[in-house]
Amino acid sequence: MAIIYPIITLLGLMLSIISVIKRSPLFNFIGIQIALYGGLKGVGLIIPPLPGQVILMYMVMSVFAFLIYFSIDDKTFKRFLEPIRSVFVEDDKRIIRSLVFFFVPILAGFITYWEVKPRFEPPVSARIIHPEPSTEIEFRGKTIRILGLENPLRKDVTNLPQHIEEGKRIYYQNCLHCHGADLDGKGHFAQAFNPPPLPFRGTDTIALLPESFVFWRVAKGWRDIPEGSTPWDSSMPAFEDFLTEKEIWEVILFIYEATGNKPRTW
Amino acid sequence: MRIFMAIILILFLPLYAFSEDEGKKLYDDWCAQCHGYKGDGKGYSTDFTFPKPRGFVKGIYKFHSTPSGSPPTDNDIIRSIRKGNPGSSMPPWKRFSDNEVKALVNYLKRFSPENFESPAEPIKIGKAPRVTDELIQKGKRLFEEAKCWECHGKSGRGDGEKGWQEKFKDEWGDRIYPANLTYPWELGNGSDMEDLYRRTITAGIEGTPMASYQDDLKDDERWALAHFIKSLQLKRKLGIALRMVKVDSAPSSTNDPIWGETDYLDLPIGGQILFNPRHFTPTITNVRVRGVYTDSEIAIMLEWVDKKPNKGDDGMPSDAAHMQFPSKIPEGAEKPYFYMGDRRRAVTLWQWKASEDSAREYIAKGPEVVTEQERQDVKATSTYTDGLYRVIFKRPLNTGDREDMGFEVGRFIPFSVTLYDGWNKEEGNKGVISAWYYLMLEPPMHIKVYLLPPIVSLAVYGLGLVLRRKLGKKYKIK
Ligand code: HEC
Ligand code: HEC
Repeated sequence: MAIIYPIITLLGLMLSIISVIKRSPLFNFIGIQIALYGGLKGVGLIIPPLPGQVILMYMVMSVFAFLIYFSIDDKTFKRFLEPIRSVFVEDDKRIIRSLVFFFVPILAGFITYWEVKPRFEPPVSARIIHPEPSTEIEFRGKTIRILGLENPLRKDVTNLPQHIEEGKRIYYQNCLHCHGADLDGKGHFAQAFNPPPLPFRGTDTIALLPESFVFWRVAKGWRDIPEGSTPWDSSMPAFEDFLTEKEIWEVILFIYEATGNKPRTW
Repeated sequence: MRIFMAIILILFLPLYAFSEDEGKKLYDDWCAQCHGYKGDGKGYSTDFTFPKPRGFVKGIYKFHSTPSGSPPTDNDIIRSIRKGNPGSSMPPWKRFSDNEVKALVNYLKRFSPENFESPAEPIKIGKAPRVTDELIQKGKRLFEEAKCWECHGKSGRGDGEKGWQEKFKDEWGDRIYPANLTYPWELGNGSDMEDLYRRTITAGIEGTPMASYQDDLKDDERWALAHFIKSLQLKRKLGIALRMVKVDSAPSSTNDPIWGETDYLDLPIGGQILFNPRHFTPTITNVRVRGVYTDSEIAIMLEWVDKKPNKGDDGMPSDAAHMQFPSKIPEGAEKPYFYMGDRRRAVTLWQWKASEDSAREYIAKGPEVVTEQERQDVKATSTYTDGLYRVIFKRPLNTGDREDMGFEVGRFIPFSVTLYDGWNKEEGNKGVISAWYYLMLEPPMHIKVYLLPPIVSLAVYGLGLVLRRKLGKKYKIK
């Protein structure tokens, strides 16, 4: 949808250029404002979209700046006003005049309605998806330092396949319902929860995280995440209640293995 | 000639073998955890989902487009894999290539080769007749005459008597329930017209009490039935906030016409798997919420399908429903935990129980810390009709109780729902839960919304007239 903004910008620029050729400062002015509006909205395609307030501010500034620019020279300003004047008074502009007198008040009424009508916009809470983990946690009475923590099972090379298989069992008995049979976040309970369960496929979840982080997240679930990550909405269980330390490491081995992702090690 | 055949064989054998190995590898990696490494339906997830994964060694496939008693076609199996079976944990597998899916199909067939010795053709299907009221009425009649209601219930919600007999099981010995035909998202065999007509009513669901009606009903009768079932299907209205409008007096009965005019919201719900005992095999999948308010009162109605009502006197727990609200309306984004609150932030819990058909108010600070409120301000009434529970909760907007939050007009107020199906032994933490949603008592439309726009229009028009007059005198050139 946002793709229409660059098009708006182009149309504005075209109008502006044609107006320069036709020597009509008013339409040049309008073209510039349209192009600017399209541009300000269009940056949302590249960087996070600008808030409406900011856009409004820029637009007001630009309207004033260009009004001043076009009114410095008396002759230009007269030509600037000419279309407005002629629409108001000239006999051969009767049709346009009727149209303007009909549509502009209606538009004004509509804008007023839009502004005063009651809004129904439920609050949205921005949340940090991968918050800073605790440096140290209590895990079933044992203190575990998360910082620099490594998956101990990776060193057990001979039994690694068994650990992964065990992780598979744990996954399909504990995680399946939300994170899904294909680890895509589309389990058969997923729809019930908001925020929705994260997928493990793809490059923007566990592929970005060191295993120590994943351990903390699985062990502590919603309980330990900071307020900025809206713990009150999170349906991620605290698996310290259900799994042992070894089981958590095993299921972590499995989710990396099954998605072909590698934990971050730096 | 023989040499030629031999060459062809040698050329193709590795290809064949390759596809078998590939099939086995894919199956062991992605299907065995549920369907079992031996294809016996005993995988890791078997006791953690309902319905259970299919065992393939018996050679009975529930879902097919072929006549009853014959094996599914390759395309039938491909369809189950590609589209999944809604209402179960069998997901749609989109990630595999067509060749990989073919390899999987070949591998599945090897669990019961004898079953696939004489392949069958899909049932021929004509064009669906155009839907008319008459056709739907005819379908409705047939639904009675063919005794579909004995299992599916009078309104198709799966609440028929037969479903509650102890021996109501499938070929694999597992308990099964007649489908709720009003929830298309639960129909594993597909919910559009052709699926209903061909795959379910004509072919039947193999190995279950859902028989084929190919011989008992004529072609046009089966189409009529399919149309009738289609007409029963609910459309889910998903969202995050519910509007509640103001009315003169709060409805006290569940079939008050006011409910038909109000906005509603469908909340998908899932098993409670956060606290012990976790609940992996729920039966309820949806609750519909609507509400209205008056000068003094708020009334909220919950609607959900429960195929068998339990009042707690049949050795099963009573059916129940909870509505949860933050005990204090949050100023910012922060809320209590969405299920039962937490130590720092409490939730107010309105509990309705079928056994008493009345409501109680609790304060919860986590599932273990639940205390009944001293002052009780919530009232509830309910009806159970053809598998559908309707429960109305009512409370004064402001109770004067310091423990209660007030319902302020124009505020977004968080709420969540927990439901319990006694037949499924649900009570305590074993229930189905929703996320946080919002409700808002919509302020009555302010008079300025109607007045301001025409005033502004007229003013602008007037201004134009004045300008024209002034300009006309001074600047007219031609
Ligand atoms: C999360 C567990 C799970 C996984 C993983 C899974 N399935 Fe299923 N599958 C099920 C369940 C449960 C059913 C039964 C649905 C029903 O009975 O309504 C099913 C049904 C099926 C059916 C239909 C059987 C019938 O009776 O018609 C086929 C075919 C099937 N699965 C194939 C596969 C294949 C192939 C894979 C691997 C790519 C796979 N499944 C992976 C759980 C799973
Ligand atoms: C003896 C009981 C019984 C009778 C009679 C019966 N059904 Fe069913 N029906 C079932 C059961 C059980 C299921 C669920 C099968 C499953 O879970 O896979 C079902 C499922 C269905 C489904 C949903 C299939 C899906 O995709 O999951 C439809 C549609 C349906 N039946 C239509 C009918 C119609 C129409 C009739 C009458 C002509 C009828 N049934 C008669 C027991 C019955």
